[in-house]
Amino acid sequence: MAAFLTRRIALAFVTLFSVLTLVFVIMRILPGDPAQLILGDQASREAIDALRVRLGLDQPIPTQYGRFLVHALRGDWGVSMVSGQSVLDEVLNVLPWTIELSLVSLALGVALGVPLGVWAAVRRNRWVDYAIRLASLAGLSFPAFVLAIILLFVFAIQLRWFPVISAHKGSFHAWTQSMALPALSLGLNAAAYITRITRSAVLEALSEDYIRTALAKGVPQRVVIWRHALGNAAIPIITVSGLYLSTLIGNSVLTEIVFSRPGLGKLIVGALSQRDYTLLEGMMVIYTFAVVLVNLLSDLAYGFADPRVTFG
Amino acid sequence: MKKLIGAICCAAGLMFVGAAHADNKTLVIGMGSADAGKLDPHIASTTPDKGLLQYIFNGLVRLKPGQISPATIEPDLAESWAADPSGLEWTFHIRQGVQCHWGYGEFTAEDAAYSLKRAANKATSSYSNDFSSIASADPVDKYTLKITLKHPVAGFLGYVANINGGNMVCKKAAEEMGDGFSKKPIGTGPFMFAEYQPQQFVRLVANKQYFRGAPQLDEIMYRYIPSDSSRDLAFQSGELDMIYGKQDQSWVDRTKQLPGVKVVAMEPGELSTLFLNITRKPLDDIRVREAIAYAIDRKAIVAFKGAGSSREAVSVVPSGYLGTDEHAPLFPYDPVKAKQLLTEAGYPDGVTIKTIHTTLTGMETFIEAVQAQLKKSGINLDIQLVEHATYHSQIRKDLSPLVHYQAARFPIADVYLTQFYDSASIVGTPTAVTNFSHCNVADADIRAARGETDPVKQKEDWTRAQTEIIKAVCGVPVYEQLQLWAWKDTLDLGYDLKGSLNLAPPVTENTHFTQ
Repeated sequence: MAAFLTRRIALAFVTLFSVLTLVFVIMRILPGDPAQLILGDQASREAIDALRVRLGLDQPIPTQYGRFLVHALRGDWGVSMVSGQSVLDEVLNVLPWTIELSLVSLALGVALGVPLGVWAAVRRNRWVDYAIRLASLAGLSFPAFVLAIILLFVFAIQLRWFPVISAHKGSFHAWTQSMALPALSLGLNAAAYITRITRSAVLEALSEDYIRTALAKGVPQRVVIWRHALGNAAIPIITVSGLYLSTLIGNSVLTEIVFSRPGLGKLIVGALSQRDYTLLEGMMVIYTFAVVLVNLLSDLAYGFADPRVTFG
Repeated sequence: MKKLIGAICCAAGLMFVGAAHADNKTLVIGMGSADAGKLDPHIASTTPDKGLLQYIFNGLVRLKPGQISPATIEPDLAESWAADPSGLEWTFHIRQGVQCHWGYGEFTAEDAAYSLKRAANKATSSYSNDFSSIASADPVDKYTLKITLKHPVAGFLGYVANINGGNMVCKKAAEEMGDGFSKKPIGTGPFMFAEYQPQQFVRLVANKQYFRGAPQLDEIMYRYIPSDSSRDLAFQSGELDMIYGKQDQSWVDRTKQLPGVKVVAMEPGELSTLFLNITRKPLDDIRVREAIAYAIDRKAIVAFKGAGSSREAVSVVPSGYLGTDEHAPLFPYDPVKAKQLLTEAGYPDGVTIKTIHTTLTGMETFIEAVQAQLKKSGINLDIQLVEHATYHSQIRKDLSPLVHYQAARFPIADVYLTQFYDSASIVGTPTAVTNFSHCNVADADIRAARGETDPVKQKEDWTRAQTEIIKAVCGVPVYEQLQLWAWKDTLDLGYDLKGSLNLAPPVTENTHFTQ
């Protein structure tokens, strides 16, 4: 276990370093001058040059890169070029919003997707199965932001059940009010995905000999399905849900924009359009870190789901 | 399974309670951007930031709320002012007893002098150029400020009015906070900065000590909602009282259908101009440039953009500015003449011209319409679409022979002419601003007008400059886009709105809800 963890963490560092270098290089190649974007279109060349010196952008690129690495190793991600606030603060300000939305959506996706997937597998090639497969196909092919606008139109404008601006905090009621539609819009998409994976994993398990044996021994069908079949189908479901969590974090940008919620996605798009080099670099580290961490956690979860898995 | 569905429905049922509605003492504004930028009036250059900061700051003088003409300039922090006959020495008498927000003390001539020096400093200001003509700004006593100019400046009061660098900051606050000032801007205006939530909103509260009287509203919630559709929906659901519109006519037509809503197209109009680089082949041949000018049908463009939200260009300076030649000799639409000129210039089979253009929606549809018009006269416009920041950087590196730019400036002809047509502003030079065409034909008249103290002669200089620029076809002005806004008709702004140089409707001490 310890050796496994050490190896994985070492690999994670290599991944982080490569991503950082890549992001640094791409940002510098991209046309667009942060100083000019900060000062606006009436600023004189002189003022722009003065700001470039203050931001350290007048230095040769290798010097900038060296300084960037030294700072990164010290855990200092610098300050955002645009807002002047520390990158860490900028990210921490909105990170809880993104994590919260992703987790609730994933929970919703699992809560809907796993039972539906099992149900479809058990009723294979019956109308329930067809209906669930059709619905999940629709859910997968439907762009999340279109669904988001439809949800807003129906539930916020026509029925007036929820607010359009889904970013209220405070009471539990306010929280559920503003979480419902965004989580539903992302969660339905996740559910569609998880349904399909669950269905095929459970179908495969159901065709195994031990299922027939269990049924022959007279174990109730409910127990056979939920414990024997689903238990053995757990690994692919966990893998996909874990992978999907990182996709959710990345994909939340459109949901954040449509539902007017703060979040990492919006921060990264803003940083990109403003050429906020420092903020983008800091965020890339966090994203990479999140993906690496989620993968590691789902690997570890295998051990709990399947006693045959060892970490050697 | 049925139990599960039942449980979900039950949980959802608990949440079904109507959306909260704001009370009638809070004005909720929906702005079309993802987040606040730098909330420092001397740096802010975007519509969202300028729109917000105007509620917090005052100038020495101000344009009457809702007006954009420099002729409406009236006292703000200065009660009165006078200039000596040479136009070089200005004395401002500061209003007594004005308090800076959050207990930063009384606003005095010392604050005013500090503020002007800060706005003139290129390290702390985007607008340092505007103040390069100030030799000194010093307090004479607590309530008297003396400004000495290096040379007379056309419309000098405009630079100390309540926009851009003219906004007055409080010295103690700015010095104490340094770079932190943009996170908690301190001014003297009707509303005070209270709270900022990243990517969500800035909350302002009423300044009960405001020198014109306590505002009738208690609060302004300035929400950042980048998606046009979400802003529209939140306005429709009543969560927003006022919104920044999607800048096109279909939005106007759609929003007008809503009950209890006022849709407004306000000044200033942003002038769309096609700047032609007169030093680059084939545009260095004036006949090719004239062909482009003849090939553009301004009427058709306005019909395309919507008559309610746009109008034809009148000159190379936007209409209504001090010094605009409202009857400038622009080229008429004549595609036959355009073709003929191209043939004369040696391009009987047509000519191809490259432009690097932004993907910003409103601007992109425009350049496509221009492309279609030019095509009729045998001019192929090769549009290379890039994202907005790339566009801004590449046109400033002189990479686009034809540049489409859309801008409004302080409404004095000098500002527009200097930034876009004075040879000192040519892109790529150390003093560069936004002269993309490399125009140098009107330098003498632009500069003469700048130092001219006789308004009649000044106007003549400006008119001549515009005629020269049009004749040399440095730029082809096409149309002006107005600023589109909507708000609930229960909101009474408390003044007549024609426009706002800060690009968002002012909210004053008199603004209130009628119910």
